[in-house]
Amino acid sequence: MDATNGLRRAFPFLLPAIALYATFTLIPMGRTLWLSFTDSGGFNTSATFVGGANYAAIWNDPIFWQALRQTVLWLVYHLLLAGGLGFALALLIARLKTTQVFFRTAFFLPHVVSLAVVGVIWATIYDPFFGFLNNSLHTLGLGFLARGWLSEPFLVLFSVNVASSWQGFGLYMLLFLAGLQNIDPTLYDAAEVDGASPFQKLVHVTLPGLREVITFVVSLALINGLKGFATVWVMTQGGPYYQSELVTTYIYRLAFQAQQHGQAAVLCVVLSLMAIAITIVFNRWRERAP
Amino acid sequence: MNAARHEGALAAALSLPLLVILGPFLWLVLSSLKSEAEISGANPFTLPARLMWQNYLDAWHVGGFGDLIGNSLVNVAGVIALTLAVCAPAGYALAKIRFGGKEWLFYAIVLGLTVPIQAIIIPLYEVLSGLKLINSLAGLTLAQVSNLIPFGIFLMRSFFRGVPDELVEAAKIDGCGHFQILTRIFLPISTPAIFALVIISALSTWNDFFLPLVILISPDVQTLPLGLVRFAGTYQTDHRLVFSGTVISFLPIIVLYILTQRHFTQGLTQGALKG
Repeated sequence: MDATNGLRRAFPFLLPAIALYATFTLIPMGRTLWLSFTDSGGFNTSATFVGGANYAAIWNDPIFWQALRQTVLWLVYHLLLAGGLGFALALLIARLKTTQVFFRTAFFLPHVVSLAVVGVIWATIYDPFFGFLNNSLHTLGLGFLARGWLSEPFLVLFSVNVASSWQGFGLYMLLFLAGLQNIDPTLYDAAEVDGASPFQKLVHVTLPGLREVITFVVSLALINGLKGFATVWVMTQGGPYYQSELVTTYIYRLAFQAQQHGQAAVLCVVLSLMAIAITIVFNRWRERAP
Repeated sequence: MNAARHEGALAAALSLPLLVILGPFLWLVLSSLKSEAEISGANPFTLPARLMWQNYLDAWHVGGFGDLIGNSLVNVAGVIALTLAVCAPAGYALAKIRFGGKEWLFYAIVLGLTVPIQAIIIPLYEVLSGLKLINSLAGLTLAQVSNLIPFGIFLMRSFFRGVPDELVEAAKIDGCGHFQILTRIFLPISTPAIFALVIISALSTWNDFFLPLVILISPDVQTLPLGLVRFAGTYQTDHRLVFSGTVISFLPIIVLYILTQRHFTQGLTQGALKG
């Protein structure tokens, strides 16, 4: 009785959000799942049920496995580069007093720039002929280090990830800084009295104190990495020869260029399951924390 | 004394990494003021002989950056207004009104928080196309708001939950309905949450690339990041134009960030941790 009454009261408050969210997010989620079992070949075409045929096709598609492998590698790069840099800088900046705001603000600057603009910026930096990187290497007499940063197969994914991580680390740095400020300073004093070395303080005071923030940042970095698209699309479009193809760019290619919606939808399901798995694992991890 | 020396040493040590991190910006600003001949010269560390402000005028006109920035501003304003308008009441209902089925709603929202936008893009395109909203800023705005709704609702809900129930009960005794409680009591004391939501939705919208790429086809409706990418692709051999166009694309947001950095940082951190 009270519950239905409450629903009647809550309904007008919820309706605008639910209507928008259902139309543009929830129903498309369900329809994506349906499309993955159909032979849909393009927009506004009929779609008939074909069972697991698309899943079988994707299973046998070497580009899918390459894109999946590269997506996992992309996540690892992002976690190490952006997460690692954010963590290291936060540890150092937290020890500053008068200049802390300056360094925090300055290091954060790349994060306010659009990833697409970041892609354009780094495409010019990596350009083999007029780019900053190769030109400065030549100028400094290190010309032997000059590379085709975006054309060499084993380098391209990493090169693009550097651009993405350059944009991404600032947010992780801020979150780590906020976490560091929440650690009780008397714990450090106590460790000092006990004669702890800086390394021991890091391991026994800082890391346990940051536990919650670390799990949060790791999950955020993984989800952000999974959504990675703009830098790759702007800089390489997944090339050369699929060497920087991610699941997201392959979805775009299949959906909007190849018009193979059934198979694209399978990739969408895979991408969603990866995101859901990451979220569940990290929620469990956080809940289990003491 | 010792502390000041420590601070000085650490600041000096951090200056080199800072220079590396900000290097791309500095190099682009410097190069954007060079002539085409100077850009092609191999040494990137030379200063331009004469500052070529003309590059900026040319890029601005050729790239139509005025229109692109205008479109982005309309887009951002629309997303902020609509996101606040739908998320504040929904967050209030989840925080302060008891009703059945709340748990189901909660899971449905978490799903949206988790699943990447690329994973629903095919049906999303179909819906927008059915509503004749492809190639329109209105369609882009609706899709972006929907994508922000889970985060916005959670942010408002977690803030509203901190408001004591006694306040709601007292207002009810005074004859206020839930709507009045929301607009007269909750919203005025929620500026930190509202500010966090504004900052995060503004930044993500201003910087969005994927949805504009899919939805906005003709150049006259495109937003800044998409327009810049198209511009850089069209004029890729005209480096001075690409450089100055790129600076035009990142400078406004950087200046705005520096001017508002304290609120900006706070809003972003609070929002990320609470949402």
